[in-house]
Amino acid sequence: MQTMKRKWWVVIAVVLLAVPLRAQGRALTVTGIRGVTFGAVLPGVPRVVLRTDPANSGQIDIRGPKGPVLLTFVLPVAMTGPGGALMPISFGAGDAGFSATQAIGSQVGFDPKQPFTATVPNNGRASVFVGATANPTTNQRAGAYTATLILTVTVL
Amino acid sequence: MRSITKLSLVVAALVLTGTTLQAQTNNASITATATVQTPINVVGAQQLSFGNVFPGVNKTVVAMDLANAGRFDISGQASTQVTLSFTLPATLGSGGNTMPIVSYAGVHAQNSTQTGGIGFPPSVGVSPSLNASGQLWVWIGAQVQPATNQAAGVYTGSIVMTVVY
Repeated sequence: MQTMKRKWWVVIAVVLLAVPLRAQGRALTVTGIRGVTFGAVLPGVPRVVLRTDPANSGQIDIRGPKGPVLLTFVLPVAMTGPGGALMPISFGAGDAGFSATQAIGSQVGFDPKQPFTATVPNNGRASVFVGATANPTTNQRAGAYTATLILTVTVL
Repeated sequence: MRSITKLSLVVAALVLTGTTLQAQTNNASITATATVQTPINVVGAQQLSFGNVFPGVNKTVVAMDLANAGRFDISGQASTQVTLSFTLPATLGSGGNTMPIVSYAGVHAQNSTQTGGIGFPPSVGVSPSLNASGQLWVWIGAQVQPATNQAAGVYTGSIVMTVVY
């Protein structure tokens, strides 16, 4: 009976320990670092920003537990400008890149329009870079245009 | 012993449940931004006019001559630099006859009266800025050199100005 009780205590201790140990896993944080910047755009002239462009590509940093994560973008189809004017924005199949080193020069390209599974390295840090193309019409109204890109990261 | 086995299963279930609860989702947003420039519009507003020219007598229209110099009116993005380049004819033509046109000179200003105007050589081009309202004026002068036996007639040629941001 004494042995039995001791084993119960061991089991309870394991349960209690198991929860704190799991709670110690890194919390997932996703942070927008830099937007996609097209700069000055001329009517009728498409402007491309590559995901490898260190100054103008978008960057989102990920911190979290090592291992696989699912990356899912919500992408705009147009940027909104003065008086509600719209300017089309498009994303190519290779316009997003995942970097396990957070270096813009070391990316694995992927299609931002499709969910993508990547692996966060042991240090729990990674980055996603994104490029895009602005497609102003020939009679595009002058002014500033903006749109929002959302990246959702799910730990698998 | 059986109780311990059962309890072990409970522990295993809790651990597995813990694993499931560990799944996390988070998101962040960034913006895409662009600034669309006002399209450039160029108008040939006034012809470069030499008027009557006599054989053997050179005639010059200076770029400061508001009445006779050629004038281009430009509109576009306010306070923005543009680059002007020119295609300049070497002769004017009248039927099969030609008359040399040389010594081009230019002035650009941010107003239509040439106040504060700046001279430049059209053959080289220049990069002025549009004014705060997005306007710029450019004048072109030149000299024609009719030969002593220049055939009478109306001589014309085209001066083309290209403007880019």
